[in-house]
Amino acid sequence: MKPDIKSIDKQKKIASETLLRRYESLKDCTYLDLRLGIGEFKSASSENGTPKEVMDDYEASFGIRAIAGEMPSWGFYGQSIGKKNLTNENVATLLASGIDIAYRRARANAKKKLELKKIFDSLTGVRLAKINVCQDIISADFEIDPRSISLQKVLKTSNDASRQMKNLDPSVQFTATVIKTGITRELFCSSEGAMIDQSLPLTMGIITLSAQKGSACPEICYDYVGDLRGWEVIEGKNCYNVSFHNFAIERTKDTIELAGAEFLKTTIDKVVVVTDPHFNTLLAHEIVGHPTEADRVLKMETAYAGRSWLFQSQEKNQIDNRIASPLVNAFSDPTIMGFGHYKYDAEGTPARPITVIKNGILKSFLNGRETAAILEQEPNGSMRAITPSMVPLVRMTNTFFGPGRKNPESIIKEVDDGYYIVRHKTPSISESRENFRISAQKVYKIENGKLVKLYRGGGIMANSKDFLMSVDAVGNDFKMFPIPDCGKGQPMQVMKVGNGGPTLRSRARLTGY
Amino acid sequence: MIKIEDLQSSVHDALKYLKGRKGVVDAEVFASWNDLTTIRLNYTSDIPCNGIQEPKSLQSYGLGVLVTFKRGNRTEVGFGSVTNDLTRDGVSESLAKAKRNRLHDPDFKTLPDPLKAPTLQNYHDHNVMKISDGDTVDLGWRVLEGSLDTFNAGGYKKSIIIGGDVTILKERMAVKSTRGIDDFDETTSLAANITAMIENRNVKGTGRSLSTHLNTFQPEEAGREAAGSAIRTIGGECLKSGKYPVVFGKQPVADIASNLLIPSLKLTSVNASNTSFLRKLGQNISSRNLNIYDDGSLEGEVGSKKITCEGIPTGRTDLIANGILVGFLANSYFAKKFKNNIYHPIPRSGFRSSSLGRDYKIRAGISPTNVIIEGNNETTKEDLIHQIQDGVYIGRIWYTYPINGLAVGDFTSTIIADSFLIKDGKLCAPLKPNTIRINTNINNVLQNIIGITREKRSTSVWGSGAVIIAPEIAVNEVQLDTIASPIR
Repeated sequence: MKPDIKSIDKQKKIASETLLRRYESLKDCTYLDLRLGIGEFKSASSENGTPKEVMDDYEASFGIRAIAGEMPSWGFYGQSIGKKNLTNENVATLLASGIDIAYRRARANAKKKLELKKIFDSLTGVRLAKINVCQDIISADFEIDPRSISLQKVLKTSNDASRQMKNLDPSVQFTATVIKTGITRELFCSSEGAMIDQSLPLTMGIITLSAQKGSACPEICYDYVGDLRGWEVIEGKNCYNVSFHNFAIERTKDTIELAGAEFLKTTIDKVVVVTDPHFNTLLAHEIVGHPTEADRVLKMETAYAGRSWLFQSQEKNQIDNRIASPLVNAFSDPTIMGFGHYKYDAEGTPARPITVIKNGILKSFLNGRETAAILEQEPNGSMRAITPSMVPLVRMTNTFFGPGRKNPESIIKEVDDGYYIVRHKTPSISESRENFRISAQKVYKIENGKLVKLYRGGGIMANSKDFLMSVDAVGNDFKMFPIPDCGKGQPMQVMKVGNGGPTLRSRARLTGY
Repeated sequence: MIKIEDLQSSVHDALKYLKGRKGVVDAEVFASWNDLTTIRLNYTSDIPCNGIQEPKSLQSYGLGVLVTFKRGNRTEVGFGSVTNDLTRDGVSESLAKAKRNRLHDPDFKTLPDPLKAPTLQNYHDHNVMKISDGDTVDLGWRVLEGSLDTFNAGGYKKSIIIGGDVTILKERMAVKSTRGIDDFDETTSLAANITAMIENRNVKGTGRSLSTHLNTFQPEEAGREAAGSAIRTIGGECLKSGKYPVVFGKQPVADIASNLLIPSLKLTSVNASNTSFLRKLGQNISSRNLNIYDDGSLEGEVGSKKITCEGIPTGRTDLIANGILVGFLANSYFAKKFKNNIYHPIPRSGFRSSSLGRDYKIRAGISPTNVIIEGNNETTKEDLIHQIQDGVYIGRIWYTYPINGLAVGDFTSTIIADSFLIKDGKLCAPLKPNTIRINTNINNVLQNIIGITREKRSTSVWGSGAVIIAPEIAVNEVQLDTIASPIR
């Protein structure tokens, strides 16, 4: 029989008992936690109306974090597991072996750390901030169970969309669609006594297409629908309120139109820009979400994802300082639906809404238990990993600009000369997130309050603080969108997060071809 | 740890089993074991830290089967895999999945056919395969000691950040098919990618060491290089926006190659009409001085493999020769799809690459091995800088993305370290990090190359599996724009 999320039922007691038994027997071990998870998914991909691949499978893994040694230090071990391992006896042996490896590493690390303390004087033992230790069961919440959808239906939906996209116009050179639907279930237990059994559904549809008119450059579109829900996402219960099929057709029509549009030209000076909720989704991701992650704040990501312009030191940082116009609010909230939704994070900390920017003033960072202890803050439950076999990191959750009061139409109507920046494409952000260039799917020229011309290949570039301080209108049209591919960590973990915002008006340089 | 002999016997037994199953036309069995150990470094002199944040590893093994079935007069293809099971039960489970997942894809022709024998043999390091947890942790501390010694010798003790990682990848795989493929491979690689800063001086330096063998791996040197580079760039100056002649150092060349050039030179991008080199095969796309090729058969290089994950011997694939586009990276599927009377791609890039290594859970995609960038008329770094006269030497860039898609070729990136102004043909003042954004287009860069150095270095980029054997390249007319420095 194929393993599925119910296979975890048998492992709960074994996992907890193995962890606690090993914990009691290991010298100088101050903390252990274990995550064991399984996901069952169906997926299908198509190109130009031809089926390419289908998959009906499961994936399981576990990960162990240990803190041990005279100068407490981390050790981690992660491993994929298969059907053969999911018997009681085998899983206990495997978990015990993983615990021993993580513990050995922690001890080896701690020994060396103690030896070198005299040279590296800021070395310290790992401390975890206190949390409410919880036992809980969270069931997957969906309207249409992903497991009830046949592989044939997943393939047909993918293939029909890809075929109709291709047939829409001769300028369409290539279409590809991918649909994935399923459920993951993950156990978290710790030497502190936590036992959390959390299940989440996931359904998403991705399109890629290329359209070319004459000898001009092909226009490429890559976009997606998705949520931590069931198959209803594909049928229309998503951030666009349209079926995946209609979403795919709408994006294809836009791409065909863009393939014949003029390329936007770069400006030297700043211009008035109105950015729509989809564009502000990526903006919130890059200039609010990332720079407020506490591991970046504490310079732990200096070599990878970068630092944060919001924090130099405990004494010198932007907390309680104005970093944006009074109209700007921003939040991070895993308790609401979106790709960043959960009830407990990967350390068992209960999720809660966090006010990041209040009326333009920076209020808090997203953290985990270790970074909270260093920053002397309360843990706010922002640690996640893409699979149990990977180390949890501080990740943004559902992180977004809050809504304002203004009608988005009037925000455009008030502009005599400016640009309307529609839907995000690709970001490039400077090291401490103090400057950004983000491209848009579409840019419209605004003249006397009206959209008069469509451009392709455009976007905006600005210094983050200048842009946030220049916001002079915030719309009442708040929306959340999925971001399926946020990279962080080494090895890279590509995480799903939710971001969003309302329409904003500010000033930035235009970037073009 | 799974022995190579176990993987070999498992693919042998699995293929024997599959051959006898009803409806099976052809089958390929791939089995692998991978271990990726990462020692993540985080030393911050002014913030409590762990030095080594955590020693961690990911391990997996299993097998995957790619099977063609006959249904009526159509051929169907299906893929299935199992984890931690190389037994008959595992093969049977994989076959059941392959049957469940099968479909007719008109672009799928056949499973790969064997080519001539591979040239690389027994090139991995047995000592890396059996390195202990304690010795692995020591490699990370050696980086930190190298960096800190250098900072201390220069009198810098506060506001120090040392980050990055030491990564050890061990891979074993075996592949066998009904088309006659039957081979195995074992690889080891070690990498130290280090970033060091003196934050209150707003300077950053980078250092790296890549090796296939433990005895030539020098993590402490990577630490020293990073710290030394940070110290050298103290007192950086700013630059006005404008078009400049620049010398791209080895890391920027590797970054641009990994994020722009190599993705544009894969047949997957041609398939999706998402490359600026579409329909340009045989045409001039760059300076005549430029050659780019991929070669996985180079002894001692970190990206080298004996065979691909489809069992094809690695070797040289020319991509750009004398400025002319001459080829694309291919796996078997796309090589067969795009083969025609004048273009016959050899599938030397069919790898099942994931962050775990050679992954049995996925079908072979297209990945580079060692990408060599060279010139016909190569010169020294000094000559290149002399040639530029007044411009910028760019030593490290960040977040390099094709901002409007690969087809358009626009890209942007920020200069974050190791960079200098060039005046009167010499390196002079350091460039202040994080104050300049590059806004240009890959086609402009390729056409405006004015010189390439002889000296090269194997370089890898975060999040990319490619190893670029990169020279330094001088390019005219690169748009540089001033941006805000970090608010402090």
